[in-house]
Amino acid sequence: MREPLNPEDLSQSAMEHAMEHLDQRIVRALEAAPRLQIPADFAARLSGQLPARRPVSLTPRHYGQYAMLIGTVITLAALVILSLHSTHPTFGLLESLLFVQFIALAVWLSVWRYGLR
Amino acid sequence: MQTDLSFEQVVRDHQEMVFRTLLRLTGSREHLDDLAQDVFLRLYRALPSFRGEALITTYLYRIAVNVAQDEWRRRRRDRDSHISLSDETSGWEDRLPHPDRNAEQQLEEREFQQCIEDQLQRLSHIERTILVLYHQEERSYEQIAYALGMPLGTVRTHLHRGRKRLREALQQRQTQERRATCANH
Repeated sequence: MREPLNPEDLSQSAMEHAMEHLDQRIVRALEAAPRLQIPADFAARLSGQLPARRPVSLTPRHYGQYAMLIGTVITLAALVILSLHSTHPTFGLLESLLFVQFIALAVWLSVWRYGLR
Repeated sequence: MQTDLSFEQVVRDHQEMVFRTLLRLTGSREHLDDLAQDVFLRLYRALPSFRGEALITTYLYRIAVNVAQDEWRRRRRDRDSHISLSDETSGWEDRLPHPDRNAEQQLEEREFQQCIEDQLQRLSHIERTILVLYHQEERSYEQIAYALGMPLGTVRTHLHRGRKRLREALQQRQTQERRATCANH
């Protein structure tokens, strides 16, 4: 046998139903996108008003590469001069340091050039 | 010029989204063209430092939200406190077609839509923005959080709070209407 329905339960269930219905209506209303009237020439008109922009150079300058090249040449020249006049033991140490620098620059330059290809 | 041509294409591709978002955020068709222009000009100025083509929509949302906020501030300064969608330049909800409904239902829906718009304008700027981006623009929590520069949890909180406030305001209005009807009978 079914129990008689409680009027309080009924009203609560009706309220929940009404709340759910209201939520659905709110979401539907929020999701409704407005109809728009965009001028047909909007994009073209806007493009015509764009402020002038400084042209961007697409040619790379490679200042660093030139600096590296010059540094390599100078180090090489210093190495040659030192090897011709190396009578003092201090020059030997200086020569080694310059030689390491020269190798480092040469490797860096070659790797960088390889990366540019 | 190649850049201008491609920018024109960007405008064409996104103009509808920008107009739509601005209309809902500002609640008026007044100056909508100017505001949309402002959005695209800001984008144009920011393009040299822009990274990642896939984020252009999110980026545009961020600009549109800022432009709408500036517009609100301007209105507040002008003491133009009467912001409603029921003015002549607005009322977009009147043009929403409901071909499968009868006239009475259509009228009721329009009134409800109007009420939603009015209540939406009474919410805080951030709540309104999140509701529009989530429901109308169907953006995810992550996209909204990125566009507004706020944590995900804050977006969820504002969305929940905004919906709650909207529901409460509508319930209050419905109760008042019911009382008024009872009083008339």
